[in-house]
Amino acid sequence: MNHDFYIWMSYGMTALVIAAEIAWLRLHRAQALRRIEEERDLEAQD
Amino acid sequence: MNFFYFASPSTFYRLAGILAPWCFAVAAILGAAGLYVGLVQAPTDAQQGEVYRVIFIHVPAAWMSMFLYFVMACYGAMSLTFNTRLAAMMARALAPTGAMFTFVALWTGAFWGRPTWGAYWVWDARLTSELVLLFLYFGFIALGNAFEDPRRGDRAAALLALIGVVNLPIIYFSVLWWNTLHQGSSVSFKGTSMHVSMLTGMLLMAFAFWSYSIGTALARVRTIILERERRTRWVRAL
Repeated sequence: MNHDFYIWMSYGMTALVIAAEIAWLRLHRAQALRRIEEERDLEAQD
Repeated sequence: MNFFYFASPSTFYRLAGILAPWCFAVAAILGAAGLYVGLVQAPTDAQQGEVYRVIFIHVPAAWMSMFLYFVMACYGAMSLTFNTRLAAMMARALAPTGAMFTFVALWTGAFWGRPTWGAYWVWDARLTSELVLLFLYFGFIALGNAFEDPRRGDRAAALLALIGVVNLPIIYFSVLWWNTLHQGSSVSFKGTSMHVSMLTGMLLMAFAFWSYSIGTALARVRTIILERERRTRWVRAL
């Protein structure tokens, strides 16, 4: 019996969720830094 | 060396920034070695054939799902007992990675179960308690984010994490306490029934996942620190 489908679905999904987590981490950090930058700009305007 | 020095978010932010890339590098090296041993070197299983190779992700992911929950609950207990900000932030930083590994354990288990048991899912004690763990992670994340004041969210989520710890021995001993379809442990502190290359591949992947978890937790806690401390002078000066 060929089990390639089950092995690929397992390894493929694991790679996908790890890639998604790393992308989400980077996005989250970029958002946090942008927010700090915006607040700094607002303070400078005041 | 005074470890309390690193309990301050500002000093820990810098330490985490140094350690996180190293953890990711170690995870990548160990992961590559684990995949090589698991997919190339390890022999085909006499009974299950090639599909058994799913265990090189499934078992380490299941271990990490339980271990990360335990560590998260310890940080939760620390934040409740000592009212430390960093411990609560670390608990929050671990939860998404723990949920991810729980999902991976359930997903890969389903794709192992179909060719070996004939079903993607059965309401077996091990599978069901692992699913409950995933819901506990979701609950922890949702409860932590449900409050406008993050410190109140931290306390509520920490309490949920501590209550949920009761699920960990249920997951671990479920195969002994109940008559389950899920097999018992092949690896224990007393020894193993596996071929040495299978065990090596699995342990390499387990250490890779461990290192990856530390890396992601450190990277995420840096973002949480930035968000919470954004009005402080040291963050403004970054």
